[in-house]
Amino acid sequence: MKKLVPALLVLCAWAMAGNPRTLAIRNAKIVTVSGPVLNKGTVVVRNGLIEAVGENSAVPPGAWVIDGEGMTVYPGLIDSLSTVGIPSLAAATAGRGGRGQTTATPATTPATTTAPVTRAMGPEDRPATTSWVLAADEIDPSDRRIESVRSAGFTTTVTFPARGIFGGQGSIIDLASAEHAGEMVVVPAVGQYLAVSRGGGAFGGFDAGFPRALMGYIAYIRQVYLDAEHYKLLNEAYAHSPRGMERPPYDRALEGVLESRRILLPANRVVEMDRMLRFAAELQQPVILYGMREAYRPEAAPLLKKYGSPVLVSMHWTEAPRDPDPEAYRTLRSLENIDLGPAAPGLLQKAGVPFALYSDGLDQPRDLQRAVKKAIDAGLARQDAIRALTLSPAEIYGVADRMGSIEVGKIANLVVTKGDLFDDHTQIEMIFVDGKQYKPAPEPPTGSGRGATEEPGVSQ
Amino acid sequence: MRKSWIVALAALAPLYAQNIVIQSATIMTVTKGTLQGSIVIKDGKIAEVGEKVMMPQSATVIDAGGQYVIPGIIDCHSHIAVDGSVNEGSVSVSSMVNIKDVINPEDIAIYRALAGGVTTANILHGSANPIGGQTIVLKMRWGQDAQGMIFEGALPGIKFALGENPKRPGNPPGGRGATQTVPARYPATRMGVEDTIREALNQAKAYKAEWDEYAAKVAHGEHPLPPRKDLKLEPLKEVLEGKRYVHAHCYREDEILMLLRVADDYGFKIRTLQHVLEGYKVAQEIAASGTGASTFSDWWAFKIEAYDAIPYNAALMQKKGIVVSLNSDDDELMRHLNTEAAKAMKYGGLSETDALAMVTINPAKQLGIDSRVGSIEAGKDADLVIYDKNPLSDYAKVQKVLIDGRVYFDRDNDVNGRPAKALEKQKLLDKEKQSQPKPAGGRGPAQ
Amino acid sequence: MKLFGILIGCAMAAGAASNNSVLIRGADVYPVTSEPVKAASILVLDGKIAEIGLKIVAPKGVRVVDGKGLRVYPGMIDSGTELGLSEIEMMRETVDTGELGEFMPQLRALASVNPDSEHFAVVRIAGITSVMTFPAGAGAGAGGGGGRGAARQYISGQAALIRTFGRTWEDMAVSALAAMYVQFPSLGATGGRGGPVPGNIAELVGETGARTFTEMMRTYQQDVAKLADFFDEARRYQRAKAANLPGLVRDLKYEAMLPVLDGKLPVAIAAATPRLIHDTIQFAEKQNVKIVIMQPRQLGSAAAELKAKNIPVILGRVLALPRGQDDPYDQAFTLPAETYKAGVKFAFGTFDNEFVRNLPYQAATAVAFGLPEDEALKAITINPAQIWGAGDQLGSIEKDKSADLMVATGDPLEIQTQVKHVFIRGQEIELSSKQTRLYDKYVNRQ
Repeated sequence: MKKLVPALLVLCAWAMAGNPRTLAIRNAKIVTVSGPVLNKGTVVVRNGLIEAVGENSAVPPGAWVIDGEGMTVYPGLIDSLSTVGIPSLAAATAGRGGRGQTTATPATTPATTTAPVTRAMGPEDRPATTSWVLAADEIDPSDRRIESVRSAGFTTTVTFPARGIFGGQGSIIDLASAEHAGEMVVVPAVGQYLAVSRGGGAFGGFDAGFPRALMGYIAYIRQVYLDAEHYKLLNEAYAHSPRGMERPPYDRALEGVLESRRILLPANRVVEMDRMLRFAAELQQPVILYGMREAYRPEAAPLLKKYGSPVLVSMHWTEAPRDPDPEAYRTLRSLENIDLGPAAPGLLQKAGVPFALYSDGLDQPRDLQRAVKKAIDAGLARQDAIRALTLSPAEIYGVADRMGSIEVGKIANLVVTKGDLFDDHTQIEMIFVDGKQYKPAPEPPTGSGRGATEEPGVSQ
Repeated sequence: MRKSWIVALAALAPLYAQNIVIQSATIMTVTKGTLQGSIVIKDGKIAEVGEKVMMPQSATVIDAGGQYVIPGIIDCHSHIAVDGSVNEGSVSVSSMVNIKDVINPEDIAIYRALAGGVTTANILHGSANPIGGQTIVLKMRWGQDAQGMIFEGALPGIKFALGENPKRPGNPPGGRGATQTVPARYPATRMGVEDTIREALNQAKAYKAEWDEYAAKVAHGEHPLPPRKDLKLEPLKEVLEGKRYVHAHCYREDEILMLLRVADDYGFKIRTLQHVLEGYKVAQEIAASGTGASTFSDWWAFKIEAYDAIPYNAALMQKKGIVVSLNSDDDELMRHLNTEAAKAMKYGGLSETDALAMVTINPAKQLGIDSRVGSIEAGKDADLVIYDKNPLSDYAKVQKVLIDGRVYFDRDNDVNGRPAKALEKQKLLDKEKQSQPKPAGGRGPAQ
Repeated sequence: MKLFGILIGCAMAAGAASNNSVLIRGADVYPVTSEPVKAASILVLDGKIAEIGLKIVAPKGVRVVDGKGLRVYPGMIDSGTELGLSEIEMMRETVDTGELGEFMPQLRALASVNPDSEHFAVVRIAGITSVMTFPAGAGAGAGGGGGRGAARQYISGQAALIRTFGRTWEDMAVSALAAMYVQFPSLGATGGRGGPVPGNIAELVGETGARTFTEMMRTYQQDVAKLADFFDEARRYQRAKAANLPGLVRDLKYEAMLPVLDGKLPVAIAAATPRLIHDTIQFAEKQNVKIVIMQPRQLGSAAAELKAKNIPVILGRVLALPRGQDDPYDQAFTLPAETYKAGVKFAFGTFDNEFVRNLPYQAATAVAFGLPEDEALKAITINPAQIWGAGDQLGSIEKDKSADLMVATGDPLEIQTQVKHVFIRGQEIELSSKQTRLYDKYVNRQ
């Protein structure tokens, strides 16, 4: 069998050119997430969907068979807050996802925003609002991060146009090698991305315009929602009986806001969680909080349960500073964040708060694996870690009917490993996105800190 | 991680009991003289004050023999407990922003203020703008969440600012004209500051007319479409309607007078003039307008507009019948407003009671909360501070602070809890050190 | 001969009737260096304390000041100001501290002191009769020469001990050369007036600073070496001068360093943490110079070293926030008591021109938090006099010392105490200032 597997894989690579529409992975351990683990089973994929899964599922004739002996099949991982697919937003990932109240990567302004500022922008100008944008419309299949993230086992990202204050709506993207971005889109609009700082310095010049302070951002957002309500009222009245009424102007920013079924707001400290949850309730918007660095604190879970909102927990754990000044002041809070941060997912799990994990700028397979392992070591059960990256994000975004677990009829997004997923020595053998197989790209020798690999992968 | 807090809280547990008696103290009520006696607290309120009191059943007794009790200190000008900048300096009228949205209940400055006897603070937007943001009054309820800190029922406020600060962005360091490299924000002079304020109030007046017209139509049974709600103009409309207090940062006599006249023109009263260091020069005009004054005890000469500041300011204004308070505008100064009050005795010859009033009942009146706080009287909130010596002596130390009849600061517990806190922190530091790789290379002493 | 006798007589009479002689009668005298004496008198002649006793008869022509019910103390001394050098902090044109340049020992604070600065009157009517005024770093926000984006400054110039009254700066000088102000290189964050920003976001995400400690250490050691090099150059000049080497060009900077190298002029050097205190002491030993440590915020392990080596310390604002988020709220209040208990000699400085008059109230807070009262008084009188080399002239009420005195209604550390008389070199100071004059102008305005 040991010789057969590589031989079969070679055949596989060769057969990729033929793009088999039906394949089966046999004799593998299958972690369905939605049900019990199958110690030995078969998954059948046809036309990009899971056709069958079970201990004794029949392999259809003509299917390309993969021997899964010694391997484990998991649902493909879903990164619930990402910018992968929009290369222009990768720029500041070398830094961190999280500063202040936002964990978004700071943006380069795309062509769709307003012209360079020549005078002070007041609130009525609504700078930094591109609420009508859909990430789906900006996806560039050549983004190098796609391959890198996929090699870590992620088949899907929820990609957001993370820029400005109202960035636009995120889209669920399958990380397939496609000629047209549209083929990658699973759901084009899943919610409006909001930020309450613009990164790269809140004091960046007076001409950056309103708002600059945190309270300015909150007032800004509040006014936009008031305007959206008013806009809706006017338009409904006009639509009902236009005669004799001055027509309300078309405002695509407000249209974008009205179209969003939910909002995402940043919150790292418990104080921020409390603030943002109350704010979202005031705006009457379903909300998903992202960041959640202090979710380990005892006040966090009860607060979150009270509101019932799901949260996205950043995997970019706060780390101890390297080579610090031994006399530099360290606050107790920062020490606790470092020590207990990774315990957050386990605690949320125990408290029954719906949550998912997200990459927050990490895009190297080793970094991603280590990050999840840290949470497991800190008390998150492995199967819960897997769920936090598969079925939970699917549920949060309302697509649990089509992805997030290995079930008949769902999209064939799978990751196949030798060893338990997230363990230090586990190898990812192959990834399937929409039923197509991909090989993980070889890791750069020094691991984290570098961009996606330069070497061409075997995948298409 | 919260163990030390839990230990501290457990030690205070008996003092959470509904009934408390503070016994055998020198009670400086501020409004009803000073007496030797006791205070009975029930359900967070002062139930009784007297030389002899009725001891309720199951009361926790705080023996304050040899100690002094005063009403909780009220700081009329503070910027603590705010997340992010206290200034929305990008625009010269930022009335749309609200301090209430960014309360940070975990700011250690709250605890430190408590340790200095402060129980209530007026949290203001900064002075970068002629018209700043909306302000809020907080009680220093350390340990509560943001909502829990808010002084329920206190009327909302808004910050105005005159003088050098709001015109600074109009005079960027690059200079003006050909040499200008940084954009300038209007206004650049005191004239422009007045214009900015008048212009905003003008807009607010028109906005109010729009909404009044709408309300009239609705009252008439019509169904008109409402006007657009403008968060910038809403609070200014409230100012015109007398529903929102204006707290105006000002220094020089000309701008003080200017603002009083602007308010007259628009039919409202300025609630307090803040800093108002030259208030003594126009004391009678301020007195005539019924505006309160909240000032520093003895700051001067840090800016040219503060060059004529004198420590007699508070006393001179008070003598003219103005309600005067002494404030801090500073995290550190906030911790000893009792001695700031004492300075009003030194500079101006105020009595002990009048001096103490400047940090208790006077700011309470200015903030419209004097029915609740500011003096030790039956019926008021049990916001009290116990000192080991006369609080107007700079040798005095705060021993305990109660808010709503609950002990929020206890010096003994604070001091006793320090070793445990230090240990907790050291444990985490040691744990981190153990898991760190050893640094490469030596680190010799500097030579 | 007769004419001569008449002239002498007139001179004596004139001397006796001059305005720097006075008898303060029947007050409680607090000499500081000895026990207080109740209902005593002090005779001042020609600006000096001539006699202290229970019954003194005023010589002919000497004015008598009734001290009944009042107390007499030595005039107070503030060890950290920029008085005369800085008028309005935020107006640079009025500020003469913080010159440009890396090594500027030749700069003299004294000759830039404006005797008519409004600050002097405000301060002297409060009983502060002498201050140290510094060429940099002793005013709030001054930050020394580097404050305006200039390169770092190592040596800022000569600080002066001056009286708060005099017609010219020459008149005011007690000692033109009281200390050489040196800014030792800093290593890492030493902490500002307060703690870190509340809700410290940078720490939250693990960003405690861009530079590693190794990098910081490297730069620090380079900077210290640079300072040491300058001392070496000064010493070479000293040797060359002593050896009368021909062709030696007079160098004003090195000339200014000579009294420092001779051990006659102490170096005043700010060091906030135990590590920095230790490093500055080591540096001073290596350079064989005397030092005074300014504004330590924490003594820790350095306390024993300071005591063992008899190095005095100037404490900054007692009314200051703790260094860090989790530190005890009274950390700065207890530092003076801690310093005293460690056996280290110290004096207080306000380090902010606006608040010099509150010097005794800073001391009072220290007392509330553990410093013995008489030590607090010493720290604003005799200790600074001795630390700054004027212990024979100032700081206590003793025979032959300068009559720099304050007469008050009670304990000068208590805020309500009023100062009734101030004498500087025996001359009574008019208790008026810009502020009292504005008060007088407006108190009766109708």
